Amino acid sequence: MLSRIAESLFWLARYIERAEGTARILDVNYHMLLEQSQQSYHLRWEPLIVMAGEEDRFRKLYAEANGENVFEFLAFRPDNPSAIVQCISKARENARTIRDRISREMWEDVNGLFYLANSYIPRDEVAAGPHRFCDKIKFGAHRFHGVTDATLPHDEGWEFLRAGWALERAEMTARLVDVQYHNLLDGPPAAAALDNHQWMAVLRSVGAYEAYHRQYHPPIEPEKVAEMLILHPQHPHSIRFSAAEVQAALRAVSGSGRGSYANEAERLAGRLVERLSYDRIGEIFQQGLHGYLNDVLRMCGSIGGDIARTYFYYAVVA
Amino acid sequence: MGAAPAYMAKLGLFEGYDTGSFYDEMFATSGHPRPQYFKLFQRLAAMAPEQFEERRKLADLSFLIQGITFTVYRDGRGTERLFPFDLIPRILPHSEWERIDRGLSQRVLALNLFLQDVYGKQRIFQDRRIPRSLVYSCPHFRREVIGVEVPRGIHTHICGIDLVRDSKTGEFCVLEDNVRTPSGISYVLENRIVMTRTFPDAFQDCEVLPVNHYTGELSRILRSLSPRGENEAQIVLLTPGIHNSAYFEHSFLAQQMGIELVEGRDLIVDGGVVYMKTIRGLTRVDVIYRRVDDEFLDSLTFRSDSILGVPGLMGAYRAGNVALANAVGNGVADDKAIYAYVPEFIRYYLGEEPVLRSVETYICAKPDELAYVLDHLSDLVVKTVGESGGYGMLIGPASERNRIAEFRERIQANPRNYIAQPVVPLSRVPSYDSGERCIGGRHVDLRPYCLYDGEKVTIVPGGLTRVALQRDSLVVNSSQGGGSKDTWVLRGEN
Repeated sequence: MLSRIAESLFWLARYIERAEGTARILDVNYHMLLEQSQQSYHLRWEPLIVMAGEEDRFRKLYAEANGENVFEFLAFRPDNPSAIVQCISKARENARTIRDRISREMWEDVNGLFYLANSYIPRDEVAAGPHRFCDKIKFGAHRFHGVTDATLPHDEGWEFLRAGWALERAEMTARLVDVQYHNLLDGPPAAAALDNHQWMAVLRSVGAYEAYHRQYHPPIEPEKVAEMLILHPQHPHSIRFSAAEVQAALRAVSGSGRGSYANEAERLAGRLVERLSYDRIGEIFQQGLHGYLNDVLRMCGSIGGDIARTYFYYAVVA
Repeated sequence: MGAAPAYMAKLGLFEGYDTGSFYDEMFATSGHPRPQYFKLFQRLAAMAPEQFEERRKLADLSFLIQGITFTVYRDGRGTERLFPFDLIPRILPHSEWERIDRGLSQRVLALNLFLQDVYGKQRIFQDRRIPRSLVYSCPHFRREVIGVEVPRGIHTHICGIDLVRDSKTGEFCVLEDNVRTPSGISYVLENRIVMTRTFPDAFQDCEVLPVNHYTGELSRILRSLSPRGENEAQIVLLTPGIHNSAYFEHSFLAQQMGIELVEGRDLIVDGGVVYMKTIRGLTRVDVIYRRVDDEFLDSLTFRSDSILGVPGLMGAYRAGNVALANAVGNGVADDKAIYAYVPEFIRYYLGEEPVLRSVETYICAKPDELAYVLDHLSDLVVKTVGESGGYGMLIGPASERNRIAEFRERIQANPRNYIAQPVVPLSRVPSYDSGERCIGGRHVDLRPYCLYDGEKVTIVPGGLTRVALQRDSLVVNSSQGGGSKDTWVLRGEN
């Protein structure tokens, strides 16, 4: 397989996942807004901008970070490369460069999602709130997963898609947890005493609400939610599960077996999976959740860089 | 002319349709369809305008979702547009197609022999059938490949030859040859797919010859060129990339043939051999179906600022380590001044008379013809010899005085760069005008696609019918507001 094609598959998956993750985070914040209607608690929107790494750009465009501005910025702004619509455009651009290598169904699906995402009028959506738009994006991303799974041969190209998806998802979940803990625990004291609606919203945003209740007894506790999202071995949105997916995809490409690794990306992925498999949530909180998640994000960044160095880039040879 | 048969009394969508003073492909005279159109006419005439509109929208949506678009650069940004598709097909009876097929095959063989000769022994100059200076002054003549032997002697693997039907005679003639990197075949294949979905019933009435063997045939030819033999052939399609106007076609063909779609940056030349960069290291490449123009192919040989090609590619080509289709230097054969000599090539190389007529052509490089052209600019079509896609053209009768004056100066400054032809009144086919919401006659041309395997020429029946969707316009190019139609060649006469 051409390196460029592997790279495009990897980024196609990442951009779709990033769009979906951003939609989820916006939607959670919105749900929390509904839940706290009677409270004096002030919802914080800045962490979403920090999460996207777009503070400078945001400040140039808006005077304050409120629900409308942040939604418009993260969903639609053409000058924000992390905006959902821009991510979908880039996903489609990547798909276009490899449309001869993906299934016709995949291409038509992502092309349709592109036209859908671009059909919204930002002003109207901002007025309506993020739910309507974000829900369509989430559904669109899920459908693309399904179409891909059902129509693309599960060969090495598929493994690059899987690696891209899982790596991006690990990062997005880490950011989601980080942002919400800032929101809820670092806020005014009254916030911590709130009932657990916010945590329900976090769980619902990744479709983990029912799974949570099968695993734990009420009431919903922040620590348990974090445990679920970071360390759960099977939930498809947990960081641990996603990291294990990255590792499995990389091994499928290189053919390396258990306990060994063929390149730096695999070594780091292995280390990350080990950590997430044996760490306990209590220790993580003792050590500091924010610091722990930052470590995870740093490792994910390195894995991405090493995948590129191993498979995508050619040093100039003669 | 007697009364129309009873079943044709109802004109429906064609009520008030005027064939004008042009040859109409569908109607012999207003209200009287030609035999090849009988069955389709009945179906369309029975259709309510809303039904027709509904099917039209269905077809458009299908093109959009499939991303069958081309890129226009007019606004400097490169915007994706749908290539407008008109639902009413162009239909040719078998006998007429058979003659076209014969004429094109003959022409492709002659063009290939000319290219072999001009980059080889150059007999034609010694026999004084064409001036050497005229050939050597072609902007697309490539001295760099003189003496290079191409695999199996094939230069013109893929040709798109533009035909028009002259309304004055009702006869098809050749308007221009495209033997470099002709595009459009993907529209032929996709148009047919969309058409069979949109009008399945019409295909049941008419026996339409299939077109979908094109990619199989092309794939077979490309494979046969491999320097390492057919079984080891690694074939790739080289595209300038996603921003090229024909990118959809490149990816479509690569997918249909199951070959790798590559960009220049995916390839590398090492030790005179071409490789592609894969996740498992370098893999040798044997055949390149290139959709990149000669001058961008290799920055070491041609334009040094090109990033679309592969440095060192020409070295590998000369060494015979990689085959290119089409061959390098073909532009000399579709130069618009050389065009005037193609009938002579057919006589000289094949000893035959041309089956298809050419359009009368004045070569401005010849002083007496130049004088005539300058005197008759407002009656003629002037073309730049090395251009294609409808660029660099003056349509005298439709142009303002200052534009004509501007061309006069350009021609006088560089006569070799121009030719002129009388305006050919192109035939028309009824087409839907979305502005006026009615069906009107629109001018069309026809580009069949010819594949040459070194022995015989294969042409998929029909080709791309391009249509000038603007009323009275003669320019059919997609970059200039043209659209396309499905082209049906019937198994019989009706």
